[in-house]
Amino acid sequence: MEDKKEQKPDANVEIIDSGPLRITGNFILKDLQRDKESVPGEVYLCRCGKSSDKPFCDGSHNRL
Amino acid sequence: MKPERTSSNDRKYSNNEITVYWKPDACVHASYCYRELIEVFDPGRRPWVDLNAAPNDQIIATVDMCPTEALAWKWNDEKKNRLVGAEHTNHVKFRRPELMEPDQPAQTGHPVSVKIMKDGPVVIKGNFTLISGGGRKEITEGILSICRCGESDHKPFCDGRHRKTGFAG
Repeated sequence: MEDKKEQKPDANVEIIDSGPLRITGNFILKDLQRDKESVPGEVYLCRCGKSSDKPFCDGSHNRL
Repeated sequence: MKPERTSSNDRKYSNNEITVYWKPDACVHASYCYRELIEVFDPGRRPWVDLNAAPNDQIIATVDMCPTEALAWKWNDEKKNRLVGAEHTNHVKFRRPELMEPDQPAQTGHPVSVKIMKDGPVVIKGNFTLISGGGRKEITEGILSICRCGESDHKPFCDGRHRKTGFAG
């Protein structure tokens, strides 16, 4: 059942300046570090390396 | 095994049965290859690929894990290449069709995949829009590797630095 002529992007990937990575839309999140898989619809992923809730952002970048 | 130059940075390595193609410009440091099979793929050794260090089925399985076209493989026997199925994502006919007689187009239409790599970047693959610094850039069937350790010199992209800084997470 794949006859989309023009494929619309399935997800948006947003690099927030001095902040996390926001991903929204239709995507599968696979965390190979923690062996978890989910379809969250929206996530904010840590880009500073300091979050204590990795892979998610916990706002730690504001204290850098 | 002496590596053979194929283009400026590209290399290819062979043993009696298979050939592995290495395209360093395409590497996003997802690091599957050396985590899975350090005997064969050892970034600290020159040449870094030794195709005689493990059985071919293990080498093929590892090359198939590479999320980019940095690593691709094929049988040296061209007849066997025609029988290779789509589960072998990194066979040259799927990854580097320019290296085959062109009879099989690349596949499209999988959902967007977001992978958190062990102690490494987040690798995003599929059909998505990248929004960065107020700008929009559409990507079709693209792949991105975004830094998670905060140390990359090439932000927002991964430059492999997590390996040197010992990033855990």
